[in-house]
Amino acid sequence: MKPSSLIGALIAWLFVAAAAPAAAATITVHDIAGRDVTLEAPVKRILLGEGRQLVALALLHPHPASLLVAWSADMRRQDERLYDLYRAKFPLLDRVPFVSRGSPDTFSVEQALAAAPDVAILSGGYGPSRRSDDVVHKLEAAGIPVVFIDFVEDPLTNTVPSMRILGRLLGQEARAEQFIAFYQSHMDRITTRLAAARPALPNVLMHAHAGHMECCNSPGRVTIGAFIDIAGGHNIAVDVLKQPAGRPSLDETMARGQLSLEYVMARDPDIYVGTGGMHLQALGGLVLGPGVDPAISREDLAKVVSKPGLDGLRAVRTGRVHGIWHLFNNVPFNFLAVEVMAKWFHPELFKDVDPDESLRELNSRFLPVPLVGTFWISLDQKPTERGR
Amino acid sequence: MSDLTAPAQSIVAGHLRRTRRRAAVVVLLGIAAIAALQLDFGTGPSSLTTAELLRGLFDPSSLGRSSAVILWEIRLPQALMAALVGAALAVAGAELQTVLANPLASPFTLGMSSAATFGAALAIVLGIGIPGVPRIGIISTNAFVFAFGSALLIQVLGRLRGTDGQTQVLFGIALFFTFNALVAIMQFIATEQALQQLVFWTMGSVTRANMQSVAVLGVVVVLTFPLAMASSWQLTALRLGQDRASSFGVNVRRLKLFALLRISILTGAAVAFVGTIAFIGLVGPHIARLLVGEDHRFFLPASACAGALVLSLASCASKLIIPGIVLPIGLVTSLIGVPFFLALILIRRGRE
Repeated sequence: MKPSSLIGALIAWLFVAAAAPAAAATITVHDIAGRDVTLEAPVKRILLGEGRQLVALALLHPHPASLLVAWSADMRRQDERLYDLYRAKFPLLDRVPFVSRGSPDTFSVEQALAAAPDVAILSGGYGPSRRSDDVVHKLEAAGIPVVFIDFVEDPLTNTVPSMRILGRLLGQEARAEQFIAFYQSHMDRITTRLAAARPALPNVLMHAHAGHMECCNSPGRVTIGAFIDIAGGHNIAVDVLKQPAGRPSLDETMARGQLSLEYVMARDPDIYVGTGGMHLQALGGLVLGPGVDPAISREDLAKVVSKPGLDGLRAVRTGRVHGIWHLFNNVPFNFLAVEVMAKWFHPELFKDVDPDESLRELNSRFLPVPLVGTFWISLDQKPTERGR
Repeated sequence: MSDLTAPAQSIVAGHLRRTRRRAAVVVLLGIAAIAALQLDFGTGPSSLTTAELLRGLFDPSSLGRSSAVILWEIRLPQALMAALVGAALAVAGAELQTVLANPLASPFTLGMSSAATFGAALAIVLGIGIPGVPRIGIISTNAFVFAFGSALLIQVLGRLRGTDGQTQVLFGIALFFTFNALVAIMQFIATEQALQQLVFWTMGSVTRANMQSVAVLGVVVVLTFPLAMASSWQLTALRLGQDRASSFGVNVRRLKLFALLRISILTGAAVAFVGTIAFIGLVGPHIARLLVGEDHRFFLPASACAGALVLSLASCASKLIIPGIVLPIGLVTSLIGVPFFLALILIRRGRE
């Protein structure tokens, strides 16, 4: 580089630095693992322990890929279509190295250090969690602050604080508060109305990753199972997993379990909810997600519940069979899952609630990569049983 | 018999007494196995009683639709599958221990189960199957092909170095580690969901049994067991050593070849439908040996009954430990089998 251009670059940099909206300042965030972390914000170089948290960053920042210096490959592995959508919108992503294949044990601390991030945002799930003492210790020993967020383990408690933390880290507090207000208004609409009406709770079977193994892998009150209670349903898995209400944890030995088909038949749930996604395409299960044709999802769902045993359940006979995108278990806009399920569980009470409209609002106000596709699906109600 | 001397007569009488006692033990084991099968059949989270189920067996119209599904799609195939797999693996283990002259030989220790797991992993993780096999059957088919293939490989490799069992055991152990490493690689590259499915598969479970798979395994057992019984005296002779058996006119090579074929088919078919169940092929034969000794006329059926008994009890336990949740049967098998086995050893030692 010639000296003159070097000087030119320096001057340009000075201008950019002076024009930056928020000057770097030292802040302290209280993360969802209960740790107080002090660091320089807004951060410019982010490491994401779970690649899918790019979606959360994108809610708050117009160019999330420009902040990313290392991430994990779980989004690419689990939903290549979603990954491609983000790549198309943010071509810079292709230059960001992967530090894990999308699982806690393939996380390479050395690669993470090589990326020299300002902050490592970890979130459990497919990445190192707050139980990964070794990873956290090594990152911190190298001077990299570690901040925990969470949308999967206890989504009802942690979603709002996690977004607030991200807002502070990115210097986008106002944007974060807008999203939180939007989120909270949708959640409150469901919870206040349920609290006032106190309807009888229908029994719900949630069949996780429907169609991929024998019936029925079922979550308790963790991950996507957390939304059943708040949407006004009774999860039949909770009874055998012996899960108390309150703050559940993925650490519990029986956070989820393989229900026996006979138990499911004996409980004869009122409502069937299968979860699915692109990750089940190769495994022959329920496919849902961005760019998925609803006809395909409906066909998959009908196939899943036509298996002997499931086909005789009250839910199937009366046509209360639904499918939901599994990734709602780990994104900040999980209120959509709550809205959809509340409507399924109490159709009369939530007649005016329109999740499709909520999704449109989310897309237009917050998401740079709009969600377009099939994220929930229902089989047709049986004509004879309609209106029961 | 009257022209025998008095000591000879007492030896013959003693032999007959032992034979009758062993036959009685086999019959008792058989009754116990059937009782365990019925107990397993009657155990489950719904409120159906054994009596209702038995009535439903003979009079299908007496049950409602969901009870009929519970009977024909859940209880009956799973109970029969547990008993059949127990019998198949125990007989395979019994023959293997005799043919290889090694009490630690079993379909699991010789890598056949690991090979089957690798076959299943190819199907689950990479979707690779035998061309022409429908999607729904590729896991079972792969498992069978790999288990069968590995048994043939042990046989062929063993042939290169004579027919002594020791070489074949060593080859088997080499296969065990090779396939375990290959399975570990599959686990590493698997997605979360495929990994979960694979891990569940390797723990062994009868929940995926249906009447078709029960029928297939039933046919395999019914066809191979009489062939094994037909060779029982030759196998007994083989326990005295290869040279002694040859001197009785036994064609040892042929005997071993056919025994290994039976073992591969039994193991392959059992593993294909339920995944790996490690313990039964080793301990079923040992329980039988402790009870009836080495005479294969009794040893083989006793092994079958002991295997079926232990696996039926394990199946019961897997349903009872956490009602409503399916525990993989492979997790429980050792817990049920080991105390049984230890008790037998201690009682034996005490008596001697």
